[in-house]
Amino acid sequence: MTNFQKHLERASRRVLRPIAGPTWTDKIALSMKGFGKITDLFIATWMGRIGIAIIAFFLFVVVYADFFMPYDSHDVGDDIRAAASWEHPFGTDGLGRDVFTRTVHGTKASLLVGFVAMAISMGIGTGVGLVSGFWGGWRDEAIMRFNDVFLSIPWLVLMMVIVALFNARNLFAVVFVIGITGWSFTARIVRSQVLSLKSRQFVERAKAIGSGDMHIIRKHIFPNVIPIVFANAILTIAIAILSESTLSFLGLGPQDVETWGRVLEDAYKESAVLAGPLPFIIMPGLCIVIVVLGFTFIGYAMDEVLNPKLRQR
Amino acid sequence: MDSFRKVLAKRIFNAFLAIILIMLINFLLFRVMPGDPALMATPRLPGDAAEAIYERNVELMGLDQPLHVQLYKYFVQTFMLEWGESYKHELPVTTVVANSIMWTMLLLGVSSFLTFVIGIKLGKMAANRRGKPVDVTITSFGLFFYGMPVFWFAIVLMVVFAVWIPAFPLSGYMDPGMHPGFSIDAITNILWHMTLPVATLTIGALAGIILIQRNSLVDVLTEEYIVTAYAKGLSEKQVMKGHATPNARLPVVTTIAMDIAFILGGAFQVEYVFSYKGIGWVTIDAINDYDYPILQFIVLIGGVAVVLANLLADIVLVKLDPRVTIT
Repeated sequence: MTNFQKHLERASRRVLRPIAGPTWTDKIALSMKGFGKITDLFIATWMGRIGIAIIAFFLFVVVYADFFMPYDSHDVGDDIRAAASWEHPFGTDGLGRDVFTRTVHGTKASLLVGFVAMAISMGIGTGVGLVSGFWGGWRDEAIMRFNDVFLSIPWLVLMMVIVALFNARNLFAVVFVIGITGWSFTARIVRSQVLSLKSRQFVERAKAIGSGDMHIIRKHIFPNVIPIVFANAILTIAIAILSESTLSFLGLGPQDVETWGRVLEDAYKESAVLAGPLPFIIMPGLCIVIVVLGFTFIGYAMDEVLNPKLRQR
Repeated sequence: MDSFRKVLAKRIFNAFLAIILIMLINFLLFRVMPGDPALMATPRLPGDAAEAIYERNVELMGLDQPLHVQLYKYFVQTFMLEWGESYKHELPVTTVVANSIMWTMLLLGVSSFLTFVIGIKLGKMAANRRGKPVDVTITSFGLFFYGMPVFWFAIVLMVVFAVWIPAFPLSGYMDPGMHPGFSIDAITNILWHMTLPVATLTIGALAGIILIQRNSLVDVLTEEYIVTAYAKGLSEKQVMKGHATPNARLPVVTTIAMDIAFILGGAFQVEYVFSYKGIGWVTIDAINDYDYPILQFIVLIGGVAVVLANLLADIVLVKLDPRVTIT
């Protein structure tokens, strides 16, 4: 390709961009202008800010945990089931391990599960949604029926059964199971967005000038689906973290890493409810609640701003 | 009306297809996944005894036959209502499940009823006073409980109301030694044991309903026909009752149907924490004992229940709003 051709292509891209519909930032601006629901948007941005602060805090904890923590989470001590004190802010467990340290180190795997499972779910969900929405016909029919099934079998039961059948209670297996059971809702949302995009003028124009299907998907459909996928991805992280902790609590979680769910499982099995120390069973759960709340806040705020009506379709 | 019938036929066909697919997945999950069901059903005995039992199990379960034959057998058996026998209890799975499902239904029934009544009420309150302190309080309450692990919330309630203030029992569905029956004593005892689990489930599921009800009502209230209704001189009460609420009902119905799968998951966790011997308890037991027929049966009835609930919701939806076209 000569320089001139490159220049021409770049120029044509610049010219063609407006045809490709409003960009993501345009959409935010547009929805703010079009709405005028100032109170709603205030709540939305306010939630967004708090959410981002919460997640930033926990990411900070993940990165710097090793520098600050005086104990290791495997350090077994003589102080068994000690109550909360300055040395052990959350008390110690049945083996004398410091619960605060365990909770802090549990952050890493818990968040990791959330992000990786989300990536798997979003990958499958977006792909399936694009195919089913764009080509329609028998593909759509087949995919949606399959999707119905995943939405129908109670999610916890399905996860429990698959984890039990895998019989490998490690991080990889659990993340994989959470990932492959969590894509159906995303697929639905993406599908309905693709359906509405397909009938817009800029896609018809692209067809009229002879663009291929893959080109239209790559240049016109996919960029416009991204904002929704993004908002949904954040909520999916929250759900994945919840799923992992529930599985762990029921004794089906990963055994090779420390997560909040596992700390809770130990606490419940050592009957910390009756025998204490109470922070052992309260604090890891509180961490889950706060992180999930953070992600929900961000997701909710984004959703409110980007596509207020889509969720109900 | 003709189109309604067409839609209905399509929905029923889809539901039927979904059930077939659930059965297919249910079959494949238990056959293709790593883990040998025949080995799982074999007791750990020394010597040749275990070997003989293993051989018998392989033959009994038909594991030596090709996969498509097994699949065919599975479908035939399922439709003939032969759902297998529990390895551990050596009883038909229906008996094992029937003994426990009653308690789960009791929990779910009471908590769902409370959830819908309270949730719709609170959602309306929030939507009516949008942006006011009431709305902010209710919405943030909703969001807070939306992301709460149900099992953890159950533990918190347990710590507060069963340990600190010993007002409610720690576990079980009734006092040990009592027999379920229709005496006043038994019923009050069951209700007393039910309070904390039901409270957990209700508050946990409330959040979703509140948020949906609020958002859909807020959406409806910005429509032009609401302005028209006010313009022709109707009072706020009349507008809400006659114009806003009926139109805001649709997303709520859909959500309730979609939520059933999640509510069932919540019931599992609550049962585990409170040692409430319902279907969740049976499932966890079955997982620990590798009692496959029970698991297979629970996946089947769980899936079928949700499919039927969704079908019902779709029919209700069409009845509520004739404009709805379901694809």
